[in-house]
Amino acid sequence: MPDATGKIVCSQLWAELRFNPVVQDTNAFSTRPHWLQVVLIGRRPVATLARIAVLVALCVVTFKFVLLPIRVEGISMEPTYHDRRIDCINRLAYWRHEPQRGDVVAIRFSDPPPFSTPHAMLLKRIIGLPGESVAFHGGHAYINGQLLDEPYVKNPCDWEHPPVQCGPDEYYFAGDNRSMPFEDHYKGHAKRERIVGKVLL
Amino acid sequence: MKIASRLVLLAALGGLGFWLWTVLFPNPEKVVLGRISQLAAVATIRPGDGAITRAAKVSKLISFFSADAVISYDVAGLGARSLSGRDEIREIAAGGFANVKSLAVRFQDATARVGADPQSATVACTMRVSAGDDKDFGIQELRIQFQKIDGDWLMTRLETVKTLQ
Repeated sequence: MPDATGKIVCSQLWAELRFNPVVQDTNAFSTRPHWLQVVLIGRRPVATLARIAVLVALCVVTFKFVLLPIRVEGISMEPTYHDRRIDCINRLAYWRHEPQRGDVVAIRFSDPPPFSTPHAMLLKRIIGLPGESVAFHGGHAYINGQLLDEPYVKNPCDWEHPPVQCGPDEYYFAGDNRSMPFEDHYKGHAKRERIVGKVLL
Repeated sequence: MKIASRLVLLAALGGLGFWLWTVLFPNPEKVVLGRISQLAAVATIRPGDGAITRAAKVSKLISFFSADAVISYDVAGLGARSLSGRDEIREIAAGGFANVKSLAVRFQDATARVGADPQSATVACTMRVSAGDDKDFGIQELRIQFQKIDGDWLMTRLETVKTLQ
């Protein structure tokens, strides 16, 4: 039944044409693609290409600017992160909040060029927050003189180091493997801007 | 149609002209970053490189530094040290090149900043070095100062940067 504007009639007509089996069969018969083409690029190659382009763009944006794939090299984060482990760095982890104590983060070396991602990063755990002092006595970390509970440290150690003061925009980073000699273990404080993101898993 | 084809031709000529300009008169940042890439190639030693090749590489390496260049490093395992002048750098480089089986040097994440006078530039980069058959590698952040001397961009100061203080 057409209404005053005639819109329903139009849509019904369109629906009829679209779902009319006779019309569909005739078209499908005349332009049925080869099965190999269907397997390789689908029934509608343009749509398939568009889907591939969107997928590639999504992958590039995701794995270049949001989740950076990394491979852990070295033993300084043992036993939490083993050598050669594959993981991802979430670059948006600190979009809404600041890094927290205990977070495992990636720290960049030199600042990469614009629209580029760092090739090499340090994987460390945040143990000191801005303005805090970090010291090591008898292998334990002390924050502002208070013993820090570190359940992730499994190996006993004998690290001794006087307090180090973090600046107002600095965090103190250390690895979980404290069985390494103090001098061989790369640790210390750095500015917030060096934190690339938080490790995903 | 004629106007359109003329416009396209004009745009193509403009693009070609711009490309030629950048080739003939590259901006200092590109030149300095190019020097860094050349330095990495010169500092890389292949296992098959003989004594003559290594000596030639040392000479080539020295040509990247100014006469009064300073290398200042503070690296775990090597300690803190400073080298002054081409002769001292040549001595250390020759010793190092002779003693390694192979050496792979790469500079990554390099950015160049040209000074207010276009005669000086500072490069911040990350050096990745692996020696011999050892699968382990060393990574060190560097700051390199360049000066344009007699038309050539030469390194006047190379120093290590402590990523974690």
